Amino acid sequence: MLELIDLRRRFDDVVALDGVSFEVPEGRIVGFVGRNGSGKTTTMRIALGVLHADAGTVVWRGRPVDAVTRRRFGYMPEERGLYPKMRVREQLVYLARLRGTPKGVARSRATELLELLEVVGDPNDRMETLSLGNQQRVQLAASLVHEPDVLVLDEPFSGLDPVGVDVLADVLRGQARDRGVPVVFSSHQLELVERLCDEVVLIDRGRIVARGSIDELRAMRVRNLWRIEVPAATDGWWEVIPGVSLAERADGGVVLELTGGADPQRILDLARAEGDVAAFGPVRPSLAELFREVVAE
Amino acid sequence: MSAAPTDRGTWRLVARRDFWVRIRERSFLISTLINIAVISILVLARASSAVAGGPSFDLGYVGSGTVADGAAALGAQAGVRIDVRSLPDLSTATSALRDGSVDAVVTQTQLIGHTSLDPTLAPLVEASARNLALAAVLDAHHVSQQERDAVNNSTPLAYAFLEKEPPNRNQNAAVAFVGVLLLYGQLFGYGIWVASGVIEEKASRVVEMLLSAIRPKQLLLGKIVGIGTLGLAQLIVISSFAIGLAFATNAIDVSSSAFGAAGLVIGWFVLGFAFYATLFAAAGSLVTRMEELQNVIVPINLTILVSFFISIGALQDPNGRLQVIASILPTSSALAMPVRIVLGAAPAWQVAVSLVALVGSTILLVPFAARLYSGAVLRTRGRVRIREAWRSAE
Repeated sequence: MLELIDLRRRFDDVVALDGVSFEVPEGRIVGFVGRNGSGKTTTMRIALGVLHADAGTVVWRGRPVDAVTRRRFGYMPEERGLYPKMRVREQLVYLARLRGTPKGVARSRATELLELLEVVGDPNDRMETLSLGNQQRVQLAASLVHEPDVLVLDEPFSGLDPVGVDVLADVLRGQARDRGVPVVFSSHQLELVERLCDEVVLIDRGRIVARGSIDELRAMRVRNLWRIEVPAATDGWWEVIPGVSLAERADGGVVLELTGGADPQRILDLARAEGDVAAFGPVRPSLAELFREVVAE
Repeated sequence: MSAAPTDRGTWRLVARRDFWVRIRERSFLISTLINIAVISILVLARASSAVAGGPSFDLGYVGSGTVADGAAALGAQAGVRIDVRSLPDLSTATSALRDGSVDAVVTQTQLIGHTSLDPTLAPLVEASARNLALAAVLDAHHVSQQERDAVNNSTPLAYAFLEKEPPNRNQNAAVAFVGVLLLYGQLFGYGIWVASGVIEEKASRVVEMLLSAIRPKQLLLGKIVGIGTLGLAQLIVISSFAIGLAFATNAIDVSSSAFGAAGLVIGWFVLGFAFYATLFAAAGSLVTRMEELQNVIVPINLTILVSFFISIGALQDPNGRLQVIASILPTSSALAMPVRIVLGAAPAWQVAVSLVALVGSTILLVPFAARLYSGAVLRTRGRVRIREAWRSAE
């Protein structure tokens, strides 16, 4: 398990991280979500030792992380970049060897990854001759080429086409499932996070504001909303039930907010008396809605 | 695969990459060729002046060649070459003077020039004529051959000197000049390469990938060693070429101090490069774009340039106060001290102090530069101030 414990960091007068703590269990994919400038990149840089924390520790398998253990981490920085004039495979081999992988292993692994990630072009091409999408895939290969024990990826999906997104999603799932790698990545593509992640960590202004599986987050949410569609009903039919109020009107139905232990089944009973019920169910907020709600608090 | 127990040797990978990437670059080939061309010109210029030695003349004669031959013999003693030609008659002599194929013509009674007589040649011919006249008088007085030889072979005045000049001084100065020129080029050129290598990694953002894998100090060390090794290799190639060419063309004696000087230049390059390159790397980490490089390296450039000029001055005056101080201060000793050593002007204690100062200050400088480097190298927006970089690092 990768544990971030009470990370704190200031940049001059700005508090970037104000006690960030969360865990990434082995074999799990954790989505790291927050607005721009909320502290995601700073957290990830600290986890990789690229930046130092003013306070707090990063722990891997029960021991504080040092430069030697970090060599077994895989990282994709937000600010992408490799040597523009270096050949693609040579570059991957070099980066793998910096992290302690023997030359021969690095070479065959680099070749495999370039195929797996469907990088178009010759492995001996110079980096700068590749398209941006392909460069992005090589960058991902660079974070995987030494078969890391931990994966920390900052915005890995940004700039990828839909096919690239699928390829990358498969690779991350494979790393977590087959090799038991804890994976944490940040993203603004929340439906993707929702689809791919076992857990989500929400950060805002340097603090973790919510964490857990999507279902846990939904359970945590403040408002209990139900959507119901009764075409024949007279307006305001729900007002007789205590603790039920109108949240919004949407798509020919209404969204009702239940408070004070109001029973959704009573609503359904009453609605049936009004006419045929076309649709009824809890409103399952998307991650984006949850996020907005949490951040707005 | 288990984690490697240590990351201590990682700088070697960095060094190897920097070495091999740059040796394949066109600019390396070009700089090697330019260096070799410049050295060739210097060596060949010296070789041609060595062969020519002193001035040379063509002296024609009409009639007896005794005076002309005597002049040639006297000239040889004075380092003046006189080629003697027999001319059948005066009219041939006149036309030879007019077309310039002889510089002067000597007859029984005259020394004839075209419009004037060379002030080196004329006294030699006159002295020869005088000697001949003297010999005739000695003959008339029946002076024996032994008596004549005794006068001719004796050294009338013994030579004495205020100070002993080191042997081959002139030649050593030439070797030292080429050496300091090479050192200057290598220290400066490869220092800039270190700075631009740092900027290249910063500008392309690859540095964040690198620093997630290795420590800043190792990246810094690897870069300096890699590029320095390339500079050293080039220096060895150029020096070997220069020495080979100089021997082949007799520009310097085989017995000369050229090998020692080459060794000194190479040794001081290693030390001086470690010193300057550390500064260059720290300076390079402060900026993000190549265009900004000049702004941050001005102080280092000036230091090297001033040291270079002082060292050139040391060729004339190796024991001047400025030269002595410059050869001991670590900011200039890498250029100034080898010159003084080659000229035989540096006492052992000064060399020792200079070495200790240079090595010691480099050792002190490395952690300082490494801290600036690690504090600045990830700041990719605009120029970083030294104080910011210092505080930003741990």
